Amino acid sequence: MEKNSQRLIPLIVTVGQVVIFPYYIIWLKEVSMSFTLFAWLFAVFSFSAAWGFRTYSVKKPDSSAYISAIYSGMGLVYIAAGWMVFPVEMLPYAALLMQIGLGFLQGYFRAWHIQKPSYRVHAVHHYLLVGIIMIGLSFVKIFSPSIFLILFGVLLFISGWW
Amino acid sequence: MKTMISITKKPWFLALLVIIFASMSAWNIPIEKRKYGLSQSGLATDYTGLLPGKIEQVIPSENIEQLQKIIKDSNKHGKHISIAGLQHSQGGHTYYKNGTVLDMKNMNKILEINEQEKTVRVEAGASWGDIQESINPYGLALKVTQSQSIFTVGGSLSVNAHGRDIRNGSMAGTVKEMTLITPAGEVKKLKRGDQLMQEVLGGYGLFGVIADVTLELTDNDVYSMHTKELQTKEYEEYFHKAVENEKVGFHYARVSVAPGSFLNEMYAIDYNVTGEKDNSTPLKGESAVRLSKFALDLGRSGGRLEDFFWESQKQFSRSFNGDTVTRNNAMRSESDFMEFTVPGRVEVLQEFFVPVDSFEEYINELKNTLPSNDKHEDFKVHNITVRFTERDSFTHLRYAKKDMLGLVVLIQHGVNDKQMQHAENMIQKWTEATLKFGGTYYLPYYPYQTKDQFRRAYPEWEAFKEQKKRVDPNEVFVNLFYNHYLKD
Repeated sequence: MEKNSQRLIPLIVTVGQVVIFPYYIIWLKEVSMSFTLFAWLFAVFSFSAAWGFRTYSVKKPDSSAYISAIYSGMGLVYIAAGWMVFPVEMLPYAALLMQIGLGFLQGYFRAWHIQKPSYRVHAVHHYLLVGIIMIGLSFVKIFSPSIFLILFGVLLFISGWW
Repeated sequence: MKTMISITKKPWFLALLVIIFASMSAWNIPIEKRKYGLSQSGLATDYTGLLPGKIEQVIPSENIEQLQKIIKDSNKHGKHISIAGLQHSQGGHTYYKNGTVLDMKNMNKILEINEQEKTVRVEAGASWGDIQESINPYGLALKVTQSQSIFTVGGSLSVNAHGRDIRNGSMAGTVKEMTLITPAGEVKKLKRGDQLMQEVLGGYGLFGVIADVTLELTDNDVYSMHTKELQTKEYEEYFHKAVENEKVGFHYARVSVAPGSFLNEMYAIDYNVTGEKDNSTPLKGESAVRLSKFALDLGRSGGRLEDFFWESQKQFSRSFNGDTVTRNNAMRSESDFMEFTVPGRVEVLQEFFVPVDSFEEYINELKNTLPSNDKHEDFKVHNITVRFTERDSFTHLRYAKKDMLGLVVLIQHGVNDKQMQHAENMIQKWTEATLKFGGTYYLPYYPYQTKDQFRRAYPEWEAFKEQKKRVDPNEVFVNLFYNHYLKD
């Protein structure tokens, strides 16, 4: 578990999050109704990320990182975004909660990741992989971002238990 | 400073920041506005979303010359045009299958305010709210408009809308002049009394494009509000006294649809002239939207919660007894709180008109037509507002052949085939009960009614159709309403 979670899964998480971002943005844009709310949803994500980052940073080095739970948590957020069946008027509130959750998990994960020896190698692979995957995805026509959000969510959720 | 920086690094501080900002964001999330209207994908809907249709193109309006060119071209090549404003009508009045939609929202300028003559000339795409903003500083107000100001001038005139004013007749009667682009592409200046103007007002967008209109205005009077709770059987007498009392400028009433007092209780609100004029009170905006929506949602639940909602409505009406309000503000009620976005369900409006003196008998008839407790029914009636509409001798498809009371009804039902059929049956029964008392129903809404009911409610339909043939022989201007009720 420790080995995989440090060697391969962080790359899946960073690459996957950037690749899924356009789909997540489309979902968020549809949910947020106005640019003001759209911007605020990102602001709350950012504050939560700072909170998550510091939460990991102040931990004692030998304490448990809970990183598997972080992956699964991120996965659940994406699955929820893809599967959401709330009435339309409830979606902005759900999106707000999800931005808090995703921001915290993202910040926490980033703080953990940069302390790992594989981080620098991942950075290079990350950029190359994102570029290649995005070119590939540009040829895939979809009607709704939901399916990609759910697929990526499931992948992350499984990664937590891998 | 150092302490400040160290505090910002504390997880508890960041958590607090997230909580505060998230709470602020949640509080400011706007009430959802349903997505409807004209889309880039070539699909059009109106406020109900019940009649989605594929259109060929949407052309944003620019000016009269551009519209003339489009209309002449369409006439020549046998193409169809529909006219759209803010699309609050609910029966496909603003689009037609594979047709062109003229989106009039860009033509929204206030062209001239004449303080001496008390008139305003505006482009048809302006909303009533736009006009109110421009005339309020002059101490002027519209003579007739709807109780909300969110509709376009062109749209409201095309459906000859009415409001709560009981002194100034129909909306059509307040139009002094008009610029019309005919189906042949000619620009005509029309004055009150011209035959063509009579066709266009209440003409549902079938006689040409209204480019601009000159409307009569009045003073921005200050009214004091008076509320009265009463039984439905007492209302006719109360209403006659209100009309006879020249101090009453606006009047409307609500009928209970809560199970405990179903169609028995009412409350009426009169706006009495105080003699004061106003040119300084700002126009009100939407307020307490969340609270109002929460209360309405309670009512939407039906049963005891609907009883509670009715009691809170009465309590609310008592709370503003004696308050004053300007005419402009009385004609811009809140609307955002009514938004309803539950998937698989729809909330629609219907309006039924009955002669004033038949009100009591009509309500008794409705008690036999509608279930008093609709908590477990698919077809739910949420609200009935009663408004006066003075006899209209102006338009062809007139809903007020004599002095009428209009019952504006908010209804919710499901949208699968069975639920739609049930809603249609219920509304047809309701319409039948209305026709029995010499009443009519309003045409800007979803057409649940049969063609036969339309013809009985509007016996002038043949004259309307003949005139349409004369003015627009090539059927340049069409819409789903025309297709449903009038096309051969």
